[in-house]
Amino acid sequence: MTQQVLNAIFIGSIYALFAVGYTLVFGVLDVLNLAHSAVFMLGAVITYSLVALHGMPFLPAAIIAILVCGLLGLLIEFVALRPLRRRNAPPISALISTIGLALIFVAIVEQATPGTLFGWLWQDGANSVRFPAGTVPNPTYHLAGLTIEGTKLGILITSVVLMLVLGYVIRYTQIGRALRAVAENRRAATLLGINVDRIFASTLFLSSALGGLAGLLFGLAISDIGPYIGRDQVELKGLAVIVLGGMGSIPGAVLGGYLLGLIEVLAFVRFGSNVEAGVAFAALFLVLVLRPQGLFGARLRERL
Amino acid sequence: MRSTARGITIALALALAACGGTTSGGNGTTSYQGKTIQLGAILSLTGAGGVYGPSSKNGADLAVEIINKSGGVNGAKISLDTRDDASDKAQSAQVAQTLIQQGNLLALLGPTLSNSAVAVHPLAESFKIPILAVSTTGINIVPNCNAPSTVPCKYVFRDSLGEETAIPTNIKIYAAKAHPKTGVLMVANDDKFSSDGGKIVQNTVGQYGITLVDTVAFSKTTADFATPVTRALQKKPDVMFITSLGGIPATIMIEARKQGFTGQFLGGNGFNTAKVSKQAGAAGVGAESGSAWYLDNTFPSNAEFVKAYRDKYKSDPDQFAAQGYAAILILADAAKRANLTFSDIAGDRNRLRDAMETVNIQTPLGPFQFTSTHDVRQTVWVILMDGKGGFNLLASVSPS
Repeated sequence: MTQQVLNAIFIGSIYALFAVGYTLVFGVLDVLNLAHSAVFMLGAVITYSLVALHGMPFLPAAIIAILVCGLLGLLIEFVALRPLRRRNAPPISALISTIGLALIFVAIVEQATPGTLFGWLWQDGANSVRFPAGTVPNPTYHLAGLTIEGTKLGILITSVVLMLVLGYVIRYTQIGRALRAVAENRRAATLLGINVDRIFASTLFLSSALGGLAGLLFGLAISDIGPYIGRDQVELKGLAVIVLGGMGSIPGAVLGGYLLGLIEVLAFVRFGSNVEAGVAFAALFLVLVLRPQGLFGARLRERL
Repeated sequence: MRSTARGITIALALALAACGGTTSGGNGTTSYQGKTIQLGAILSLTGAGGVYGPSSKNGADLAVEIINKSGGVNGAKISLDTRDDASDKAQSAQVAQTLIQQGNLLALLGPTLSNSAVAVHPLAESFKIPILAVSTTGINIVPNCNAPSTVPCKYVFRDSLGEETAIPTNIKIYAAKAHPKTGVLMVANDDKFSSDGGKIVQNTVGQYGITLVDTVAFSKTTADFATPVTRALQKKPDVMFITSLGGIPATIMIEARKQGFTGQFLGGNGFNTAKVSKQAGAAGVGAESGSAWYLDNTFPSNAEFVKAYRDKYKSDPDQFAAQGYAAILILADAAKRANLTFSDIAGDRNRLRDAMETVNIQTPLGPFQFTSTHDVRQTVWVILMDGKGGFNLLASVSPS
């Protein structure tokens, strides 16, 4: 049982990290960025590509992948969000245009085989792959009947540290204050001299970099890298997590991530896989009925 | 020079087959000069079945190319129209519908997944178009494609070794060697191929004195196997049966070894691709499964296929490529003996169907015939993962 709780904490960290980026965009821009799961996937794919196809060591590859994912965030902003915002399109239009971008990102990877246009990025089409053995040292400890993997421990630490840093940035720095101001009231923020467009762009960059990081950590720990990992593993779950935690709330997303991990694992252990997803979404439903604003969402309090 | 030799082998194989067929009435002399035999294929090139579909396609394409280069089927060229069903059952049925409604296809191949076959095969049966399954291994693919109805389907054939043969053969061989007492089954229960495999394991182990101490079911989209594996290992089983698709068997093996499992992995067709063996790496060494085909078999119809495949694709074929390749040889042989008219498509489909029942040829899978229920009758090759992306042959079991 203790092993299962550990398993839950590890997978929960990834859910949390993914959901933090998801909720950040929602909190600031008021749109759901459904391309977030595709960026998550690309974070894993780009790192894998640099390591396995281009022979780069893991750490620089990971840093490049995170930066590229950040830039993809800018692409999402400039292609899928900003033009619509300029025309005062309703948020649902932005939601659809991000789905479009997500489909394009997934298709690029899914169709890539050696010799095709994107063969330099990905060569395995629809298949999933894993990092070559020994990409990062992965000592496995057996303590009191428990199995603890080095990489998973590293991921737990990385996620917690990053989420604390993000919390600090948002609470106590200039850019964080600007972010919160924009989230609170776009027009008032403009009147205060905040460049709202720039804040939007930085939000997308930050959110997508986090999404990419979550993706590459997922690829490392779960050993499943392929075009569908975003769609199958985190897209709906991420949505569940941010609703559970309260739309737009960062601590909510973190707590929601760990909670979903725990609910899933316990449901699996107790009832088996048939009801695993069912139990998770039943919990979500319960939260919506009892606390529509989510666990951490405040009805009128400031956002983020 | 190379291609001539290849052509001769194929021609020989076809001639041999034609001899076998004479008893059933085909004379094999009708000239099809200038005609085209149009075939369609519904394969999973993307999605969960994307591990298998592209191999089937490569194998089939290779056979088409070789046959066309060496004079075709009684002079007729073969054309193969392959469509992707994205591993989705509904899309598979839709693609099949489109292909059938073109109205000019003589026969179909596929679909890749048993899950989709349940939708596609009855469709082909009702339109009276022969369909040859090249990778589906679940229960009730042939003959009763309309299960639970037990009326045998007349137009559905399969050249892929069913799990009902592969899994029990493998368990029998392993049990005779190692006498395991306890086992645990890991099964994806939202996929027909996987859950059928699970049922077969459950029905088989008892005969060999193995007690199934736990069955751990999971979804085919599961990625994190820490939780299922932790549960499976709680009862300390001697062997772990894995019946699942795609990269999942490899992921489970790696996770189980990390968590300290030292027992044996046993499986079925889900183990039998180089990709799975490669992904499993060191964790998979010795993982044992029943296979329809073995890479290093040296009989000519396989050696020739492997060489041609390596020349064309610069990589090793796998079981699915061999089955795709064999499918085209089977259809070509049947077409050769069917006295096709190329004007009456419905009649031609019936004539082809009749000729398929008496196919008797050499393929990369070994000597090939259909049983009376349109299933494959062939040798089972019991293979072990070698930890480097390949397999070693442990035993071969001839059809009873």
